[in-house]
Amino acid sequence: MQEFFTLARKILAEQMDIDPETLMMETTFEELDADSIDIVEMIMALEDVYDVEFPEDEKKDYSTFGALITDLYEYLRQMKNA
Amino acid sequence: MRIAVDVMGGDYAPHELVAGAVKWIQENDSQVVLVGKEDVIKAELTKYVFDPSRLSIVNASEVIGMEESPATAIRRKKDASIVVASKLVKNEQADALISCGSTGAQMAAAIFILGRMEGIERPPIVASIPNMNGKNTLLIDVGANVDCKAKQLLQFAILGKTYASISGIANPRVALLNNGEEESKGNSLSIETHSLLKHQPDLYFVGNIEGREMFGNSCDVVVCDGFTGNIVLKTMEGMAMFLARLITMEIGQMPSIFNKLDYTKAGGAPLLGINGVSIVCHGSSKQEALYNGIRIAEECVNREMVKLQQEELAKII
Repeated sequence: MQEFFTLARKILAEQMDIDPETLMMETTFEELDADSIDIVEMIMALEDVYDVEFPEDEKKDYSTFGALITDLYEYLRQMKNA
Repeated sequence: MRIAVDVMGGDYAPHELVAGAVKWIQENDSQVVLVGKEDVIKAELTKYVFDPSRLSIVNASEVIGMEESPATAIRRKKDASIVVASKLVKNEQADALISCGSTGAQMAAAIFILGRMEGIERPPIVASIPNMNGKNTLLIDVGANVDCKAKQLLQFAILGKTYASISGIANPRVALLNNGEEESKGNSLSIETHSLLKHQPDLYFVGNIEGREMFGNSCDVVVCDGFTGNIVLKTMEGMAMFLARLITMEIGQMPSIFNKLDYTKAGGAPLLGINGVSIVCHGSSKQEALYNGIRIAEECVNREMVKLQQEELAKII
């Protein structure tokens, strides 16, 4: 999880032009001023790295960085175990 | 020349859009690819006589609605007409694409499928506004990005400058649309953007302008966020129609000058800063607007807009 978190943090921090250290699990996308394009861009960059396609769950409203990447990591873990 | 037409997006899809595309190939020597639900398109085409060697259909089973979140819809609906049309351009099976559907979805498809140019975060839409000198002032962004950051407005300014340069304007003057000329005027975004534009080398920034100055000779490019730009554009269109009706009632006929202000004649406007030609049309486009949108698409391709933008941007960014 730590490796996944660190990579996701690096990708989003680069996109948003901020210091990765300031990006925490509880940081909200609103605080980051990140819109849906920024979020999808990060997800697609992770998909490229892990060669996976994350499912799109429109019903979920991810307000924090941590909530999103926890779900993405969980999906990745399930795929590896499958 | 092959233009991909997303015939599923817009208020009058697909009948008016198919009609406009057919009219184009009847009167011009190029090809169109109609992208959308094949059975629906085929049913529409039975109404017309045309050269089948210049019209093809690429099936796309899904449509992205105006109410959907653009970025997630692009990911979820891989067979949406705007996604398929964008991939045709990406894969060089079409030279350009045109759509009257969700602008947000078209922008997201441009970002994720066609790709952005170096240094550009969000592609804006540029519109040409007729001015008092018989030329055009470029207004950028007219609707792709409703919420903007100052650095994105700086990128719009640079793109506006490059587009003006390739349109033949040497050393274009760039202004920021505001509610006053003084540096301290406007909201926090305007003030921050003014500071960035003022300190940007290689940009001939002439300061803030008020809306009415767009029609004069004080600048060549006017920068604003897409929320403001879209309201400005549609207010101008409404005002032009209102004046045309008033004058027609007064003198008994509409002066031909109003054709210049008719958005259906303008057709569409290109998204800038992306690696492909993607023309955004009004959602309310009918066949004439679609026809003229295809004309704009071909002009952008013929003028090598993408290559020239890339070259101009490389000098600045």
